[in-house]
Amino acid sequence: MSQAATQNQTSTTADAEFDVELRKVFKVFNSDTVVRGIDLGIRRGEFFSILGPSGCGKTTTLRLMAGFETPSSGELLIQGHFMNRVPPYRRPVNTVFQSYALFNHLTVWENVAFGLRLQKHTKADIQQRVDESLKLVKMDGFAKRFPAQLSGGQQQRVALARALVNRPAVLLLDEPLGALDLKLRKEMQMELSNLHRELGLTFVMVTHDQEEALSLSDRIAVMNQGKIEQIDSPEQIYQQPKTPFVADFIGDTNLFHGKIEGFYPTMLWVITDNGLKIKAKPPDAGSSLTSGSVVVSVRPESIRLSLSRPNEDVNSFEGRLRNVMYLGTHLHCLVDLTSGDRLTVMRPNLPTTFPSEDTPIYISWSPQDCLAIPIT
Amino acid sequence: MIGLPAHFSRRSLTRRQILQTSAAIASGMVLSGCGWTLAEVRPALSKGNKDDLSIYTWESYIDPQLTETFHTQTGINITADIYDSNETMLATFQTGKGAIYSVIYPSDYKVAEMIEKKLLSQLDHSRISGLENLLPEFQNSVYDPGNQHSVPISWGTTGLIYNTDALNPGPEDWQDLWQMQQPLNRKMTLLADVREVMGATLKSLGHSYNSTNPTEIKQAYEKLVQLKPAVTTFTTDAWRDRLLAGDLLLSMAYSADAVRLIQENPDAKLRYVIPRSGTSLWSDTMVIPTTSPNPDAAYAWINFMMQPSVAADVTQRLFFATPNQAAYDQLPAPLRNNRSLFPSDEVIKACERIIPLDAKVTELYDQYWTKLTSG
Amino acid sequence: MTNPSHPIANQPDSQVKPTWLQPLLMLAPAGVWLALLLVVPTLLIFELSLVPGIRPGQVVNPSGLDNYLRIVQPDYFPVLGRSLFFSIGTTLACLILGFPVAYWIALKVPHRWQNLVLLGFVLPLWTSSLLRSYAWITILRPTGVLNTILSKIGIPPLDILNRESAVLIGMTYSMLPYMVLILYAALEKLDRQLLEAASDLGATPPQAFWKVTVPQSLTGIAAGSLLVFITSMGDFVNPEILGGASSMTVARLIYNQFLGATQNWGFGSALSMVLILVVSIAIALLLKYGDRSAAGGV
Repeated sequence: MSQAATQNQTSTTADAEFDVELRKVFKVFNSDTVVRGIDLGIRRGEFFSILGPSGCGKTTTLRLMAGFETPSSGELLIQGHFMNRVPPYRRPVNTVFQSYALFNHLTVWENVAFGLRLQKHTKADIQQRVDESLKLVKMDGFAKRFPAQLSGGQQQRVALARALVNRPAVLLLDEPLGALDLKLRKEMQMELSNLHRELGLTFVMVTHDQEEALSLSDRIAVMNQGKIEQIDSPEQIYQQPKTPFVADFIGDTNLFHGKIEGFYPTMLWVITDNGLKIKAKPPDAGSSLTSGSVVVSVRPESIRLSLSRPNEDVNSFEGRLRNVMYLGTHLHCLVDLTSGDRLTVMRPNLPTTFPSEDTPIYISWSPQDCLAIPIT
Repeated sequence: MIGLPAHFSRRSLTRRQILQTSAAIASGMVLSGCGWTLAEVRPALSKGNKDDLSIYTWESYIDPQLTETFHTQTGINITADIYDSNETMLATFQTGKGAIYSVIYPSDYKVAEMIEKKLLSQLDHSRISGLENLLPEFQNSVYDPGNQHSVPISWGTTGLIYNTDALNPGPEDWQDLWQMQQPLNRKMTLLADVREVMGATLKSLGHSYNSTNPTEIKQAYEKLVQLKPAVTTFTTDAWRDRLLAGDLLLSMAYSADAVRLIQENPDAKLRYVIPRSGTSLWSDTMVIPTTSPNPDAAYAWINFMMQPSVAADVTQRLFFATPNQAAYDQLPAPLRNNRSLFPSDEVIKACERIIPLDAKVTELYDQYWTKLTSG
Repeated sequence: MTNPSHPIANQPDSQVKPTWLQPLLMLAPAGVWLALLLVVPTLLIFELSLVPGIRPGQVVNPSGLDNYLRIVQPDYFPVLGRSLFFSIGTTLACLILGFPVAYWIALKVPHRWQNLVLLGFVLPLWTSSLLRSYAWITILRPTGVLNTILSKIGIPPLDILNRESAVLIGMTYSMLPYMVLILYAALEKLDRQLLEAASDLGATPPQAFWKVTVPQSLTGIAAGSLLVFITSMGDFVNPEILGGASSMTVARLIYNQFLGATQNWGFGSALSMVLILVVSIAIALLLKYGDRSAAGGV
C-alpha cells in the first residue's frame, strides 16, 4: 500500500475528505465512448454505490478506479494522489469481482494469503491476518478447501476476505452479490453492511440492483449512458429525482410529459401532452422553475382509488380498472384513463373486497406526492 | 508408396515408415496350434485384367517414356508403385497389398530371401528371349543360380566419391581412409549400413566382405573406432549437396548414385573410385511373385526390358550399369569406357556380393554397429 | 420422493436397464478399439520380446528374458541415455520457445486473427518430416544458410550439423507446433479476470505470470510436455539425418531390429517394451505430481 505514496506525481490540491475523486473522466474504447466526463468524489469511510442499467458505464468506472483501465482523459485521484497511469498492483485499493475470480489452484487460505505473500510480510504476520480475515467472513473452518469445493456464498466470503486482508484504503465491489440467490443475497447484504460499519473502510459498489443500492449505501450515483445523472442519499434519489431518468429508473413510477402552465411559490400547474391538468411540486423548494417542458412523476403507491368521484378535483381523473395482480402484501393494478394514459397503481392488500377488472374507477393523488422534473 | 526426390538412394535401408512396421507386425501373426508363428502373410490371389500390369519398383527404373513405348508395342497399360528400400518393399508386399503386382524389382540378397519364403514363381525360360545376352557372371549368380526366379536388370558397386581438388592424390583403397584422417576430419561420410561399412573395413584388413569370424569382426570394429572421429555421420542419402558445396570431401556411396551425380554436375571436381582391394557388388532384378494376377503381361514386360535397345536406352538415361552384353555394345563409347560404371573384369573379380548371414552373426554385427554409433 | 413404496406414476420401470450398466454400454465401442489397437498389440509385442532372436517365419515360443538381459548390457546404456537426453532437451526447448508464442497468440493477438496465426505455426506439419530434416541440413551445414549469414555479420562459422545441437534443433522444430497448439488451448481457456485479480492483489506482471498463468495452464504444460517427450522418444528421423556418427537412439535401434538387415524382432520387441515402460513412467510421474489442482479434487 505504501507504494502509492511514491507514485505521488502531482500534489494536486485534492479535497482531503475524498478517498476517490474523478474529474471530467472520459473512457473511449475503439471510438465507443463508454464514460463521458464523470465528476465525483467519494468521501472517506462512506458506502458509495454506482447504480445504473447494464451498459451505462458503471463497471468501467469501477475498473478505472481499480486500474484495469486507464482514463482517456480527465483525472483520477485516490487519497489525493494522481493515479491515472498507476498500475493496479500499486494502488491502495482491492477489488471483489462479480465472478469472485478466486484462484482455483490455491486453497482458501492461500487465496487469502496471496496479497500478503507478495508484500513479503513475515510468516507469522500472514498467518495471523489471514486467520483474522477468514474469521471476519466466518470462513475460518474452510481454510484448507479449494474454491471449487465451496458454494457460491462461501466463495463470495473468501473473495471478500482476500480483498480485505490487505487493508485497502478503498474496497471496490463489482456486482458482488449478483450471482447469489435472493435469500443469500439478503443475508450477504446485511453482512456487507456490518463489515462496512466494523471496518470503517470506504466501500465503492457497482450494482444494477436498486434495492441493494438503496438499502446499503450512504450515497448513490445513478449513471446512464456514460454520465452521472444524480449523486445523492438513497432518500433523495428516491424522493427527489433530479432527472426523468432517475425518476423512471428508481422504483416504479408513472410519468407524464407536459408543459408548465402556471406557478405558485411552491406549486406548478402542468398540462400533459394528453391534456391532463396536474398540480405538482417543483424539484426543489426554492426552485426558479416557471416554464418549459417537464416530466411529472407520481409513485404508484401515492395514487388513491375510489369508485365515486372524489370531493377534491385537483389531480383527480376518471378511468377503468385493468389487470389486477396480487403481490402478497400489495395489489398491483393498471388503470386506463379516459385521456389514454395508462397508470400503475399499488395499494396495500387490505381485507376488503377489491373492485374487479373493467370497473369504472376514479384515481387521485395529492400534489405533495407528485414531482415535476425539468427536461434538459 | 512414398514418392521421393530422385536423389534418394535406391538401395538404402531408409529408416522410415515405422507405421508400416507395426502394420506388418499386426498382420504378421498367425495362430497355429498351441503356439503361433510369426508368419509372412501371403497376399490373397486376385484376377487381373489382361491389359493391365502393375509393377512395384525403384524410383528411377520407370519413366513415362518407357511405359509409353511398352504400351505402343503391346497394348498393355502400366501402373507403377515406387519403394525406397527392399525392407519397405517386402513389408508392404506382405501386408497383402502385394497381390496387385505382377513384377517386382528386389535386390540380390532380397531375391534369395524371397525365394526361401516361396514368394517367387519359377521363371519359364522358354518365354523369355535374350537371357543368353547377359554377361556370364549374371547368368549364374550366388543369390539365384541359373536365374530360376529372377532376371538381373542392373548392377553396381560400392565405392568412394571424393573431391579431386582437395584430395590429390585421392584414395585408391579402403586403407587410404585411415591414412587420410587429417584432411578428412569431419568431412567424410560412410554409408548408414552395417554390412557395407563393416564389410569395407574387413576388406581393408584382408578379410572377406561377408566374414563370419568373430575375431575378424571384432578386429574390424576396433579399426573403425579409430576412423570414427573423422566420420561426420553415417548416411546413404544426405551427402550429395554437401559434397558439391565442399562441406564434405569424401563419401562412401553406391556407384549408381555417384556416377549420376558426376554426370549431372560435369563441372564439379568429383571422382568415383572402386577400392583396389575389392568391394561389394550388387544387382537389382525383375521377379514375378507367385501371386501375380497377370503373368502373361509380366513376361511381356521382362522381354521388353531385355531388348538390347531398351536396356541401352535405360542405361544412358539413368546411369545404371546394364548386365546385358548386347545392350552394352550399343552404348556410346564414353559410357562404355566409364570404368566407374563398368569396372574391368579384374576389379570385379576382387568384389563380393553381400550375402545374408545367420542370426547369430547378424546379431554380432548389429551389436558392434550399435556400439560404434553410440559410443 | 425416494420412498420406494410410492413410485412416480407413468414411469416404466419394468424394462429399464440397471443404471450402472449404461455408462459401460456407452464406453463399449471405445473399449473394443482400445483393446484391439492398444492392449492386444502391446501384449503381442511383450510375448515376442520373450523369444530370443526371432525372425519372421519362425515359431513364437517364449523362452525367457534373454532379450532383456541383452538390453541391460552396458553397451545399450548410452543409447537409452542419448534418447532421454534428446527427448528431455526437446521438451524443455519446446516449452521455453512454445510458451511465449502460445501466450502471445492466446492473450495478445486479436481473436479473429488467432486461427490464422495458429495455422501459420502448424503449416510446417503439412510437409514431410523427412524433407524438413533435410532442409535443416541445407541451413546448418558448414557453408549453409546459417553460416553464410553469420559470416556476413562477422561471426565465426558454427559447426553444428551432425552434432547433438543439430538434432535438438531439428526435433524442437518438428515438435514445436504441437506444443504451441496444446499450450494455446490451455491458455485460451485462462480466465483473464484471474490475472486482474492477481494484479489487484499487488502482483506485478511477472509475478502474476508465475503465480497464476503458469499454475493455471499446468494441465496444458503437462500434456504438451508429455506429447513432445513421447513423440521425441520415438523420433528416429532427426537423429539419423541430423545426428553425427554417434547418434544411435532407442527408436533407431528398434527400427534396425524390424526393418533393418538384422531382422531380430524379439530384441526389437524387448527394446519397444523398455521404451513403453520409460514413457509410462513419465506419464505416471506427471499425473502424480504434475497437476496439483486436479489432485486437489476439482
